[in-house]
Amino acid sequence: MIYRRKNRIGKSPSAKKLWFAMASVGLASIALSATAQEPLPSITLTTTTESYDPIRYEAAFIVAERWRELGFDVNVAPTEFSTALERFYDQQDFDVTILGWSGRTDRLDPQFFLSTLDSREAYLGGNNPGGYANSDFDELFDAQSQEFDLDERQQIVMQMQELYKSDIPVVVLFHRDEVVAFNHEAFGGFNPMAGEGLYSEWGPMEAVAEGERKTLRIGGPQEPDNLNPLSSTSVWGWKWMRLYYDRLVRLSADVEPLPWAAESVDQVDDTTIAVTLREGMTFHDGEAVTAEDVAFTYNYYLDQQYGYFSSYLSVLDNAEPIDELTVHFHLKEPSASFASISLSQIPILPEHIWSEIEDASALSPSDTPTIGSGPFKYERFDRGEFMAISKFEDHFHADEIDIDGVEFIIYADMEGVYTGLQTGQIDVTAWRMEPGQISLAEGEEHLTVVNVPDFGYFHMTYNTQREPFDDRAVRRALTMATDRERMVNVLLDGRGEVGSSIIAPVNTFWHESFVERFDFDMEAARAELEEAGYSWDSDGRIVR
Amino acid sequence: MSSRRSYLIRRVIHGVMALFIIATLLFFLFRLGLPDPTAALITEGLNPEERERIRASFGLDRPIWVQYFIYLGNVLQGDFGYSFHYRAPVADIIWERLGNTMILMLPAIVLAYAVGAPLGAWLSWRRGSRADTSGIFVGLMFRSAPMFWTGMIAILVFSIGLGWLPTSGMRTLPYNASGFFDKIFTLDFLHHLILPALIVALYYLGSPLLIMRNTMLEVYGEDFIEMARAKGLPERRILYAHAARNALLPVVTQLAVTIGLAAGGQVVVEVVFSWPGLGREILNSVRTSDFPLAQASFLVMAAFVITLNLLVDVLYTLLDPRVSFK
Repeated sequence: MIYRRKNRIGKSPSAKKLWFAMASVGLASIALSATAQEPLPSITLTTTTESYDPIRYEAAFIVAERWRELGFDVNVAPTEFSTALERFYDQQDFDVTILGWSGRTDRLDPQFFLSTLDSREAYLGGNNPGGYANSDFDELFDAQSQEFDLDERQQIVMQMQELYKSDIPVVVLFHRDEVVAFNHEAFGGFNPMAGEGLYSEWGPMEAVAEGERKTLRIGGPQEPDNLNPLSSTSVWGWKWMRLYYDRLVRLSADVEPLPWAAESVDQVDDTTIAVTLREGMTFHDGEAVTAEDVAFTYNYYLDQQYGYFSSYLSVLDNAEPIDELTVHFHLKEPSASFASISLSQIPILPEHIWSEIEDASALSPSDTPTIGSGPFKYERFDRGEFMAISKFEDHFHADEIDIDGVEFIIYADMEGVYTGLQTGQIDVTAWRMEPGQISLAEGEEHLTVVNVPDFGYFHMTYNTQREPFDDRAVRRALTMATDRERMVNVLLDGRGEVGSSIIAPVNTFWHESFVERFDFDMEAARAELEEAGYSWDSDGRIVR
Repeated sequence: MSSRRSYLIRRVIHGVMALFIIATLLFFLFRLGLPDPTAALITEGLNPEERERIRASFGLDRPIWVQYFIYLGNVLQGDFGYSFHYRAPVADIIWERLGNTMILMLPAIVLAYAVGAPLGAWLSWRRGSRADTSGIFVGLMFRSAPMFWTGMIAILVFSIGLGWLPTSGMRTLPYNASGFFDKIFTLDFLHHLILPALIVALYYLGSPLLIMRNTMLEVYGEDFIEMARAKGLPERRILYAHAARNALLPVVTQLAVTIGLAAGGQVVVEVVFSWPGLGREILNSVRTSDFPLAQASFLVMAAFVITLNLLVDVLYTLLDPRVSFK
């Protein structure tokens, strides 16, 4: 557009005539297109840079190679990560983009991943940048989010996956295993958790010392942005804070909600949930944990508008203390995930400390309280170096915990973490190892390597608001021409699983495994396109 | 004396102007070049209104010119603002990290120059000999070998293989020290310092060595050396007392620039040895679009370079009376 406007300014009459002539030719060609066939617009495939993530970078080339074979004109555009995110979500300015969703524990509930295909999330900045719009899907989405009966809800979630799969607005490329390792001569007893690896909230509670040292040492290349429960916006902040802040409910390794600080969770009516607390719980400073604290915390979170938790709390109207140990949660509308997910994510804060803090997000790190009621007590955090917590002896779960505490060593990169593991400086890796380190670790006698399947996924999203991806047949054909088997075998060295649905196979209860998978098949892709009225010109380019 | 004062005042004014221009460039460079600092929050599931609220809390909802003048006003008062990522005062973060970086870089650079300059002088005296050739070779080799490589080899040999030195970090865990000086005045800290400092020193060794050697060769042709020889002074005295003093100027300049740039740390060494220095922090701040932290880090670096350059020019007059203020 800019070009034209510039050309027009100050042009001589003859140039104007030329423009007119060109415009007429353009019009004529449009008129002709009813009979003549036109090549499809070229496709820009956006992916990460090689240095950010070599796997997604290479995956784009595997895709492009086959799509070209199908007669499409494809450009691969490796893009700096934040810029790619901005164009994808905020501007929705893309043809096809390869990005990913991480597997956070709370996303094991289907709510979040399903919402990424809801047409009401298709606004700029929303979670459905591809713009998939299917009113049946949206209706089912509402139905499942209000369905309390697990089996009923499972049926609806399955139906939704069937709908999405045949329309295929988003291709789930693969789920990458998280490969982590621990020193079995120092510690054992771990139960790896999907999407979390060994550094899960259960890891430190389950670890059993095999050697002399009873302090578990974890090493990772990432650290919390800050430890303010009303301002941290990173997974790494919460992975640490959840060890010293307790929750009403904790999700088991199989994502079953277990009453934790809650003795019981009951439904009073459609929009009221009653929680009874355990007796005798105290905060780390000795004050009792009461229903007042719990109600205060939830209302405080609503009040302080903490974005990171807003999806958990959007359905909550208010929390009300009924007696010493009972809290009622009043919801704006029925919600299936509130009792399982929301209650398992919000930490319990001591009212006597936080009630005096007006704007919690403005607290500086040195003023941020660290008193919780969790199984561990906060000890210290030296940015870039080290964090520590120690066992809280008065916790109701304390007898089940073998270790004295956890020390987290912060390294600059995975190279440092691996060296630490190899030399016995740390016992567990907090983050996935690099491919080269896996085989090295397998050769070390004191190390056990663990493959943990992930339910987060790498996806390739079509912009369904743009040609030619507005045509379902094109999306289907392009998906059939995407060799995901090869990505898993070559790029992941077999450590992962080909994607088939936005709900991962490892999430067995919610995953729909019987519908079509779009196996790699170039013939089928061509047939799909032909059937939809596409053909190929003499140069092999696809035309319509 | 008055010429000296007016010279100094002029230089200080130039320095401040340079800093002002750098601050302005940094401000616009980061804002125009880096993505929105809240872009990465999308993958955490934050919706646009929540991100807008966070942007507003960072002051990013105001027009860029307003932001610019607020920023300038704050910097003039020595206030670098709050880090977007850490939600902590930028100054606290930078001073701590700068301390960690300097405690590694200064000993390393001093070592490199204390060894490199005399060694270069000695090599020039033995020019053409086998010692000269191999000295130049070693100096150049460490200067051109990437530090992540020399660092990794050193870790492999001395830490993993021989087990003499720690592989990473500044101290052994668990520790109790919290103040900066508690942290560095320990044997344990020295133990951690040896390997990274040695790697940095070896890298820097080449500069003073070669500059000294080559300047010395030039000085040898001067009349006063001839004169000293004619007086029958011992060769060693001619070398160190007469020639070396005159050849020192370019080395001092180089030293100042090196120390100035060292404020930014050696990112590679800091990563290989997991040293919590400013270099890693700068890299992170750019990665997370943490404008206040990135701006302040680069500004501190620039201030270092400018100040040290000024200092060297003053030092020149002491080292060499031929240089005067004009």
